[in-house]
Amino acid sequence: MTESVIGVSRPRVDAHDKVTGATRYAADGQVHGLLHARLVLSTEAHALIRQVDRDAALAMPGVVAVLAAEDLPIAGSGSDRTTEPLARTEVVFAGQPVALVVAESEAAAEDAVEAVVVEYEPLPAVVDVEDAMLPGRALARVTHEGEDGGDLESIHASVDKGQEEGDDEQLSGNVLDTVHRSAGDAMALLEVSDAVVSGTFRTPWVYQAYIEPQVATAWLEPNGNLVVSTSTQGSFVTQRELARAFGLPLERIRVIAEPLGGAFGGKFALVEPLAAGATLALGRPVRVVFTRTDDFQATNPASAQVTHLRVGARKDGTLTAISGKMIVDRGSNAGWGVEGITSLLVAGPYRWEAHDIRGYGVQTNRFTFGAYRGPGAPTAAFALESLLDELAAALDLDPLELRLQNAVVEADVGVSGNPFPRMGAIEVLERIREHPLWQSRDSLPDGEGVGFAAGYWPGGTEPAAAVCRVNQDGTMTVVTSAVDMSGVNTGFAAIAAETFGLSPDQVRVVAADTATGPYSGASGGSKVTYTVGAAVLRAAEAAREKLLKAASEELEIAPADLEVVDGVVRAVGSPDHSITVAEISGKALRFGGSYEPIEGHGGSAQTRGAPSVAAHLAHVRVDKDTGEVTLLAHVIAQDVGRALNPALVEGQMRGGAAQGIGWALFEELVHDESGQLLTSSFLDYAIPLADRVPDIDALIVEVPAPDGPFGAKGIGEAPVIAAAPAIANAVAAAVGIRLRELPMTAPRVWAALSSQEESRT
Amino acid sequence: MKLRIVRPSVLVDISRLELGGVRLDENELRVGALATWEELESAPELEWPPFAAIAECAAAIGDLQVRNRGTLGGSLAHADPASDMPAVALALGAQLVLRAAGAERALSAAELFLGPFTTALGPGELITEVVFPLVEGSGSAYAKVEHPASGFALAGAAAHVTAEGKQRVAVTGIGAHPFLLSADANPLDALEEAEIYGDRFAPAEYRRHLAGVVAHRALDRARERMDKAR
Repeated sequence: MTESVIGVSRPRVDAHDKVTGATRYAADGQVHGLLHARLVLSTEAHALIRQVDRDAALAMPGVVAVLAAEDLPIAGSGSDRTTEPLARTEVVFAGQPVALVVAESEAAAEDAVEAVVVEYEPLPAVVDVEDAMLPGRALARVTHEGEDGGDLESIHASVDKGQEEGDDEQLSGNVLDTVHRSAGDAMALLEVSDAVVSGTFRTPWVYQAYIEPQVATAWLEPNGNLVVSTSTQGSFVTQRELARAFGLPLERIRVIAEPLGGAFGGKFALVEPLAAGATLALGRPVRVVFTRTDDFQATNPASAQVTHLRVGARKDGTLTAISGKMIVDRGSNAGWGVEGITSLLVAGPYRWEAHDIRGYGVQTNRFTFGAYRGPGAPTAAFALESLLDELAAALDLDPLELRLQNAVVEADVGVSGNPFPRMGAIEVLERIREHPLWQSRDSLPDGEGVGFAAGYWPGGTEPAAAVCRVNQDGTMTVVTSAVDMSGVNTGFAAIAAETFGLSPDQVRVVAADTATGPYSGASGGSKVTYTVGAAVLRAAEAAREKLLKAASEELEIAPADLEVVDGVVRAVGSPDHSITVAEISGKALRFGGSYEPIEGHGGSAQTRGAPSVAAHLAHVRVDKDTGEVTLLAHVIAQDVGRALNPALVEGQMRGGAAQGIGWALFEELVHDESGQLLTSSFLDYAIPLADRVPDIDALIVEVPAPDGPFGAKGIGEAPVIAAAPAIANAVAAAVGIRLRELPMTAPRVWAALSSQEESRT
Repeated sequence: MKLRIVRPSVLVDISRLELGGVRLDENELRVGALATWEELESAPELEWPPFAAIAECAAAIGDLQVRNRGTLGGSLAHADPASDMPAVALALGAQLVLRAAGAERALSAAELFLGPFTTALGPGELITEVVFPLVEGSGSAYAKVEHPASGFALAGAAAHVTAEGKQRVAVTGIGAHPFLLSADANPLDALEEAEIYGDRFAPAEYRRHLAGVVAHRALDRARERMDKAR
């Protein structure tokens, strides 16, 4: 028996093409007669549109059309980005698309954008999310057209929503949703706890900063069917959103998900309604490419959040109760928010005797909120894990032992009301405890500190299907419609190879579209390997059954006595008695052939998520003169279930940690008082560049997921979550200050150090 | 032009004029206006303590692509309030050679900067050369703290110290244009009175403090270089 291919590091199947520039992305495809569209963005944060004057733009050479909302054949009346891709009568954030200039060239379209004059009647801009909640405050949207948000809510917020709000808190109409999770008497328990700590934590709007800006190309087939080739995380969900927008039957829409140049949660049907709307209006192919500045202003970043949190514990370190209010700034997104998931995750992977947590989804005149890797999670972990360190200090306990003592184990009931499945909270914490960096934390030079924090992601589910098909030459093609956002295709190849009995380089994975592929669900929620991977495994099993049936006839040996090794079917214990997969397939795939094609179909419908826990260890140096925080070393330990391909798993862990470092130290979208975005380029918006991210030590912890293929599960979101609190705890260890607001920029750290100095003197 | 802020009707390419190079004479260093940051970063003449601030500053500008294209003359003429090299030109007492059609004049760096992106250059005038006087046995340095996104100085300071104990400090990134701190016994006192710019990322109070920090750092390093060369 040759060695297993599971657990072996291999290059990504798409690596060569991407590195050599052979990959064709959504903006690269050649389309005959293609028109190019550029966006006219609102210059007002909140206003009524009086008039869109297009004459000057239309007179410019190469300009084909200037489209406003009424020119798009929208069927619905909703006020979400699908049914209102261009603002109808009211703009609700600065940067909202108001018109599309369509021209024969990109340059002509870009030139003409400046010639479109939009007349606004300004309204008060609602930018302070806490103030916006108060009764009687101005509303962030005054013309309301009701319709729910379609399919997108279920993708991102696939958690229960807690109890519906029953009591009579007085709130303004800007509060679109409230969530209340409670069990036991948290207030009474906090009263009698030996230590209670509390704080208000603020996290900003954060941009996904994918390399490839939003782009989609649409055209009509001769029969009038709509085809959209796009950079998206999900082809089927985009197809459904387009059907909802334009009132078309699904069968008339084909969505092709092209290779993705990064998404991180931000690419769900945001740009496709624009391209499709223009194509339907003009009858010609149209491509919409966001410039980087458009992408900063007009897309859907992670929401800002304000979290008031209190936690308590007994003298012996047992956690007692958690209570909190979590205010989520949804911007203009009326369809969904993260108040459900963030109010769940703020309890962390720990046992509480009582909890009382409220979440609020509030509309303001800033962006349209969207998903970003672990939506609602980094901000929840920042609040909780900062306070747990303070709680340990108040009780004179070791902060890591405090977490270990309270970490959930299988069957513990969480804040969701459901029991946790088997997951590796304790194993991950133990790996951090034994790390030399943690062991040496008390012997560092002045101004340096080590901190740690943990967090978890519950993991999503969605039914999925896949096909495994053996070709005439004995190789296999795996067909799914999953978008490969994080290397999942490479995992599918390993799963199929291992299950069927081929080497991974004999397996190709192709992504099909909505017209040709099995349903595989959208890529998001840390679920693709867990759900589509399980479907691939079953499809490979089904194909193997057909193979063995045919081989059994050829070799005159019962299927149960056969094995498949590296593309050869042979008798167990008598390897010379054999036939190759290619020979069997050759007998099947031909005119007059004798066997059914060696193909299998498989599906999965996971009934529970597979949570993943990740803990971070950060070593920082704080420059007390300037407030600059330098990350000297960073460690992440994560329970990944089973690492199908350790190199790719480590890549996800390092990439997630790097984005978490962005939350901690760099990233912040800033508006002024009138709702104008001040950070609309990488000259203003800082991300963790290579020279600011140390070599991250990635420690894989394997606690097999009960329902995952080979014990694997989705791992993409967990690694971003607890990096910021680990760094905050390291800063506290280094210089004794507690920052309650992210990112921890040099000016903020210096200001905190200065007020610490003042309070001492 | 890329940002569509200016749309000149005529564009003159000066990149092929022979205005590059670094030349050390008996009592001055002459640098051509088209010398790139990369050239300055690696010029052996600039390893010498009296001029070390120039190489140190050039190496801290932008990224390699920028340093391969950006020039000394271009930076001075652009007069970005947060650009680095103007501070060095001020601290080292540089003189500029300006040429227009049929005319040439000299201007000190201290006379050049009038406001944000505004200089004393006349219409049709081009900086052709920058002349740094040589003070034997002196030392120089440049220090800054960068904006984490743009890399521009939140505060930058260039220092020049002499064996006789004279010192000059110029700062950038904190006001309408880079400026010299008065050459009193403690030039840092001047920061208390200076009008400092602030923004949402880095308030004026922080920049004022930071300017003091980088001024001290530049002075210390300049002295260190001077003492080491003795």
